[in-house]
Amino acid sequence: MSLDSLTLQQLIARTARGDHACFAQVYARTQAHLFGVALRMLGREQAAEDVLQEAFVSIWKSAGSYRSEVNGQPVQPMTWLIAVVRNKALDALRQRTRRAESELPGDDALDDATGASAPSALDLLGEATRALHIEACLGALDGSHRQSLALAYYQGLSHSEVAQQMGAPLGSVKAWIRRGLDKLKACLAARGVAA
Amino acid sequence: MKYTSARLVEHLASTYALGTLAGGARRRFERLLQERADLRLAVAEWESRLGLLGQAAPPHAAPPRVWAAVDARTRPLAAASAPARPAPLGWLKPASFSLGGVAAGLLAASVLFVLVPGLFITADRAAMLTGQRLPQSYVGLLTDAQGDGKLLVSSLRHGTAMTVKVIGPITPPAQGRLVLWAVPAQGPAFVLGPVPLTGSATSQLPGTSEQLLSKVQKLVVTAETDTAPTAPGAVVFSGNCAKLW
Repeated sequence: MSLDSLTLQQLIARTARGDHACFAQVYARTQAHLFGVALRMLGREQAAEDVLQEAFVSIWKSAGSYRSEVNGQPVQPMTWLIAVVRNKALDALRQRTRRAESELPGDDALDDATGASAPSALDLLGEATRALHIEACLGALDGSHRQSLALAYYQGLSHSEVAQQMGAPLGSVKAWIRRGLDKLKACLAARGVAA
Repeated sequence: MKYTSARLVEHLASTYALGTLAGGARRRFERLLQERADLRLAVAEWESRLGLLGQAAPPHAAPPRVWAAVDARTRPLAAASAPARPAPLGWLKPASFSLGGVAAGLLAASVLFVLVPGLFITADRAAMLTGQRLPQSYVGLLTDAQGDGKLLVSSLRHGTAMTVKVIGPITPPAQGRLVLWAVPAQGPAFVLGPVPLTGSATSQLPGTSEQLLSKVQKLVVTAETDTAPTAPGAVVFSGNCAKLW
């Protein structure tokens, strides 16, 4: 059976058994998307490259930890891979002092790396919710709630960083994000697309 | 805090997966994750939900150097067997070595290597290189219940890598994966590594074959659903572990 005919799930399963050719195929199929996730969060190509590298070394070592089902709900391999990359990106973000980092190359570092036409975090959240058909459900949230959730998710910002960027009180941001997560869970459950 | 409240667990799992749980709270939660299956499950559920949002991020091709770096870090055996990089010559400068001297040294070493190989390599290796002997290895031929050959297992006596080669068609287990075990004459069986369904696979052993296999008489393959099985289940293939020297 050629590698091209294998699903991503099968490739990850074979990677877990030490099949390096399948691991290479996992990389080839997903790198552009995962690099996009890392770049979106970190804002700089070099940092995103480092994170992607660390993420794939981790995937090679821990492919056996991928579970295709959690509590009876299927877990798409891509969502697992994205979680690995996001966790590495969050580690990288925590390791650097964001303020110091942003002062060195200028506040437009994100635009430099991702292109001036890159969609905003809120645009991405809108696109994701449309693709998942939960737009109407999530639309019940106030704009501030969606904005804070989008900044935390797509840019890896902390509560205080979201508060600073939005010019809003920290307590309000925490409540907005909490409500956004609750609503997201309810919307996905109603659509039957996630646990 | 014992983190027994379902609401608290849900809150921590969601903020951990989102990334907004930070500082000491995040570190404490990560320590708890090692111990608590319920927390790991809650995090997995949230990572699954949030991962759906990540699919909207625009793709951006990573430069080829990223894969080159990943490949180099995940191919320990290939890296180990690759020719050693030439050592930088800078360290020679303080000793005022000339390149001519280095070349002469290499030439002399080459002549000695041909004339007196025992100065450079063991007698066993010399015999192997000259085709008089196979390298000292541990080997095993595993068959199914009908006696049909299925797997060839081999590992150099003083090496730490083991190769498992499929030599007959293997039906994938209905559940789980195939695992190779060593069964010592005395003491519990222990896992040697995964078994491929086709082709061959090489895995790193925790010690040299001599350390691990000198008292092992039998090798077996079982189908395991547990990611870290502690005792072999029903045997699928079996064979003797032999010393090739």
